[in-house]
Amino acid sequence: MAAAVKKGPRPSVIWLHYQECTGCTESLLRTSHPGLAELILDLISLDYHETLMAAAGHQAEAALQNAVKQNAGKFILVVEGSIPLANHGNYMRIGGRTGVDAVTEVAKSAAVTIAIGSCASWGGIPSADPNPTGAVGVQEVLKGTKVIKLPGCPANPYILLGVALQFATMGKLPELDAEGRPLFAYGRTIHEHCPRRAHFDAGRFALQFGDDGHRQGYCLYKLGCKGPATHASCSVNQFCEVPDAWPIGLGAPCFGCTEQKLAFRAPMYQTIDIARPQPPASYPGITAERGSISPLATGLAGLAGGAILGASAKVASMLKKQKPADDEPEVKP
Amino acid sequence: MRVHWRRMLEVAGPVVTRPFLFVSALAAVGILLSVFREFAGLHAVTALNDGYSWGLFKNFNVTTLTALGSGGYALALLTYVCNQGKYHSLMRTALLTSILTYTAGMIALSVDIGRPWNLFFMADPWVWNPHSILWEVAFCMTAYVMIALDFENLAPLLEHFEAENMPPLVRDVAGYAKRFVKAAYPYGVALALALPTMHQSSLGSLMLLGGTRVHPLWQTHLLPLLYVVMAFVMGIAFVELVLMASCTVWRRPIDRFMLASLSNIVSWVTAAWLMIRFGDLAYRGQLGAAFQLDFYSLVFLAETVMIAVPALMLRARGWREDPAKAFPTLGILTLGGMLYRYTPTTIAFRPGTGYHYFPSVPELLISIGFIALAVMGYLFTVKRFAILPATLEMSVLASTKQIKKGQAA
Amino acid sequence: MNVDRRTLFKIVAAGCAGVAGVRKAHAAAMQSNTEQLGLLYDATRCIGCKACVTACSDANGLTPDTGSSNGLYQAPESLNAHTKNIIKLYRSEDGSEWSYMKQQCMHCEDPACVIACPLSALTKGDFGIVSWNGTTCLGCRCCQIACPYNVPKFEWSSVNPKVVKCELCRQRLALGQEPACTAVCPKRAVIFGKREDLLTDAHKRIAATPGKYYQDRVYGEKDGGGTQSLYLSHVAFSKLGLPDLGDKSVASGVREVSDNIYQHGITPVAVYTALVAVTHRIWSKHLKHSEKEAEELGLEEQL
Repeated sequence: MAAAVKKGPRPSVIWLHYQECTGCTESLLRTSHPGLAELILDLISLDYHETLMAAAGHQAEAALQNAVKQNAGKFILVVEGSIPLANHGNYMRIGGRTGVDAVTEVAKSAAVTIAIGSCASWGGIPSADPNPTGAVGVQEVLKGTKVIKLPGCPANPYILLGVALQFATMGKLPELDAEGRPLFAYGRTIHEHCPRRAHFDAGRFALQFGDDGHRQGYCLYKLGCKGPATHASCSVNQFCEVPDAWPIGLGAPCFGCTEQKLAFRAPMYQTIDIARPQPPASYPGITAERGSISPLATGLAGLAGGAILGASAKVASMLKKQKPADDEPEVKP
Repeated sequence: MRVHWRRMLEVAGPVVTRPFLFVSALAAVGILLSVFREFAGLHAVTALNDGYSWGLFKNFNVTTLTALGSGGYALALLTYVCNQGKYHSLMRTALLTSILTYTAGMIALSVDIGRPWNLFFMADPWVWNPHSILWEVAFCMTAYVMIALDFENLAPLLEHFEAENMPPLVRDVAGYAKRFVKAAYPYGVALALALPTMHQSSLGSLMLLGGTRVHPLWQTHLLPLLYVVMAFVMGIAFVELVLMASCTVWRRPIDRFMLASLSNIVSWVTAAWLMIRFGDLAYRGQLGAAFQLDFYSLVFLAETVMIAVPALMLRARGWREDPAKAFPTLGILTLGGMLYRYTPTTIAFRPGTGYHYFPSVPELLISIGFIALAVMGYLFTVKRFAILPATLEMSVLASTKQIKKGQAA
Repeated sequence: MNVDRRTLFKIVAAGCAGVAGVRKAHAAAMQSNTEQLGLLYDATRCIGCKACVTACSDANGLTPDTGSSNGLYQAPESLNAHTKNIIKLYRSEDGSEWSYMKQQCMHCEDPACVIACPLSALTKGDFGIVSWNGTTCLGCRCCQIACPYNVPKFEWSSVNPKVVKCELCRQRLALGQEPACTAVCPKRAVIFGKREDLLTDAHKRIAATPGKYYQDRVYGEKDGGGTQSLYLSHVAFSKLGLPDLGDKSVASGVREVSDNIYQHGITPVAVYTALVAVTHRIWSKHLKHSEKEAEELGLEEQL
C-alpha cells in the first residue's frame, strides 16, 4: 500500500470542524502506524485542517477555497462535529457562513464524504435532549450524498485511516452496513467480541463498582453495559495503542457511544435488553441420538435364538418318531 | 396300553453329561460376568442407558421368564382350587420349573440393581413404599421364592431323605418335616396362589408407570389382568413343553391325554385372553393402530398371530392329543406370550429422546448364564429326586429294583 | 396341627391393622405442609447464554460435562449423571421457528418417581422439592421408567451409582439463597419464587401480551397433575420436549389401579383366607386318596 501511495500524487484531504470537541482529531494525533507525521507528510495531503494548520482568518478561508478548487472532484472530505439546524443554522457560523452552507458547498466537489465521530455521524452529544441547537449528523444535511459514517466518541482513528487509505490507494470504499458504517469495524457488537464475554456466559457479573466481581474483571452487563447493542470495534482495537485502554477494559461499562439510540440517551447504568440473535447449531437439540446397537450382540442373540429353535426342532422330530402305539382315552365311569 | 401318569419318578442316568457340562460352562460365564459387574458397574456389562434403564435382566429374566415359571401357580390353581386332582403327578415338575425360573430371575434382578447393598432395607417396614409397584413385585416375589416355592418343593427332597439308605437321624428329621408339610400344605399352597396372582399382575402394572411412553397398543389399565392371565397360559404351556421334551429325551412314556386336557385349558383361556385384549383395544379406540403396518403394528400382529393361531389349532382334538403336533404349537404360543410380556417393557417403550437399546454381548451372556443355571438345576434335580411323572408300572418296577439292590447290599 | 379357622382370621386381622397403623404414621411423617417453591422459565426471554448451566454445575459440585467438545469446555448434550440443568435448542426444519429450552427436574405436585420408588429414596419434602436420598436407594431405576420428562439420571459407570437430578439447590435454600440458575440468569428468563406467585406473574405476562405465548397458558399449571417448574413459550410445548400429559398425573393412574385392587392390603388377606379354606378341603381329600393308593400298591407315599 505504501508503494502504491508513493507512486501517485498524495490524495487531498479536507477536514472540516463543526460542533465538536476535537476529540476525534486528538485521537488521530495519537496513532503510530502510520504516525501523524508520516500520514500528512508521506501519505496524504492534508490541505485544510483547522486544528493543525498554521493559517488563521482570511488566509485560512483562502486556503480552503484553493484546496477545493484545485482538487475538485478528487479530495476526501472529512467532517468532524455535528451541524446545527436550529435558528436557521445560526448557532454555527464560520467566516460569515453557517455550517450548513459551508459543508453543503464543500461537499459538492468532494469525491467522498466521511463523517468522523458520533457528532458528525448522527449528532453526538450536542444532539442530546433537549437538543437546543438542532444538531444533526452530516448525512441529514447532505441528503443526496452517501456519507460514510464512523461513529464513536471518539471514533477509533484507525477506522478512518483504513477507510481513507483504502480509497486513496485502491479507489474503493469498504462495504457499508445499512447505516453507512464500514462493516469491518461496525459489523459486530461489542458483546460479540468482548474479552469479558466468558464471564457473561458463565454468569459472573460485577454487581457494584469496586466489589469483588468488579475487581476480578467480571462482566459489566448488570452495571448497565450497552455492549450487546453497540456496534463498534473497541474491544479488539483499543485506543492509544495501550492494551485495555477502552471503557470495559478499564472497568467502566460501555455506554454505546456509537449508537444514536443509546449514547447520551439511555441511562448509563440501566441494563438493556439483549437482542436474541439466531442461535448457532452448536446447542444440543431437544432430542439427540443416543445409545448404539452392537452388531456382535445382535449376532449372539440370533445365535442363542437359533440354538433354542434348533433344539426344539430336534425334540419335535423325536416326538414324531415316538408314535404312540397305544391307546384309547379312558372312558369315564 | 394307555399311558397314565400316576406317580413321580427320578430319571435314570448320570447327572454329568455332555449337555450338562455345556450348560455349566454357560452358567459359569454368566456368573463370572456377574461378579465382574459388581466391581465394574453396570455400564461395563450392559447396554442400558438413561432412556432404556431396564433391559434384559429386568424385562426378560424377570418379567418374561417368570411367566414361563408360572406353571406351579397355574397347576396349583387347577389342582387345589378347581379340584382337578388328575394333575397331581405333574405338580412337582411344574413347581420345579417355577422355583428354578424364579430363582434365576431373582438372582438376575440382584445383579441388575445398582446398589445391591441396600437390599437389606426390603426388610425394614419404615422405608417401604407400598404404593410402589416394584416394591410389591419384589416383596411378593421374594416371599414366593423364599417361602411358598421352597415349601412346595420340599416334598421330593424330604422323600429322598426318608429313603432306607439314609442315616436314621436324617430319616427322623425328614419324617417329622414331612408330617409338618402334610399338615401345613393348604396354608403354603394358598400363599403360593395368592402371591403369584399379585406379583404376576403387578409385573403388568409396572408398565403403567410408563404412562404415554408405552405405545397405546399395549398401554392399558387392564395390563395387570392381561399379564396374570398370560402367565397362567404360559405357565401351563411351558410345563407341557418341558414334559414333552424331557420324556422324549429320556425315553419315558408320555401321557398324551393328560397333556391334551391341559392344552384344552390353555386354548380356552387364551381365547378369553384374546377377547379381553381386543375388547380393550376396541374400547380405547386403538384397533386402527393395530393395522397401520408401522413397526409397532407389525410387532402387535406378530404377537397376536403367534398367540391366536396356536390357540385355534389346539381346538382340534387331533392336534391336542398328538405331542408331535402339540409341541411346536405350544412352542409358538409360548413365544407369542413371551413377546407379549416383553414388548410393553422394551420394544413398545419409547423414552422419546432418541435413545436406542439392544443388549450388549456381556449382558446377553449373563442372561443366558442364568437361564443355563436354571437348566443345570433342572437336570440335576430330575435325576436325583422323584419329580417327573411316571406310570404306575414304572414306579413298581423301580421300587422292585431298589428293594433288590437293598437286599443285595 | 389344626389351626382353627376363626383363630386364623383373628391373627390375620390383627396383623393387617398393625401394618396399616405403621404405614399411616409413616405417611404422616413423610408429608410436609410448607409452601411450594418453584421456577418459572420464559422461553421468550432466554438468550441461551447457558450461565445457568455452569452456575448449576458449580453450585452442586458436579464435574463439568465436556460432552462433544473433546474435553475442552463445558458442553453437555443432555441431562446426565453430571448435568442437572441444561439449555437445549429447538429449531424447526426450515429454521424459521426456534426457541431455547431449559430442562431440569419439574418437581411435580404428584411425582411419578416418588410413587415408583420401592424404598422411598425419592421423596417430596420441604417446599415440595423432590429429592433423592441414597441411604435406602436400591439403584433399581424405577424412577427413570416412571418420570414422563426423563429427568432422573443414573451413574451407570459407577460402582456406587447415584440418581442425579435437580433438587432446586436445597443446599443454597438452606442458606437463604436462591437456586443457582435463577440467581445467575442475566435476563431473568428463569425466576424463583412461590408457585402461586409464579403462576400469577405468568398469567400477568400472558394477559399483557395476548397471542405471544403458546395457547396463552402456562405449562405445568395443571399438566401431569401440576408441576413446580413452570414454562412459558412461544412455540408448542411438545416441540420443546414437554409432553402432552393431560391433567392427570401418572401417579394417580397407578394409584387408581393398585389401590382399587389391593385396598390397602385387605384384598390379599381376604383372597388368602378364601384360598386356605378351599385348598384345605381338596388337600385333605387328596391325602386320603394318596395314602390309600400307597398302601394298596406297597409304594412310598408321594405327596
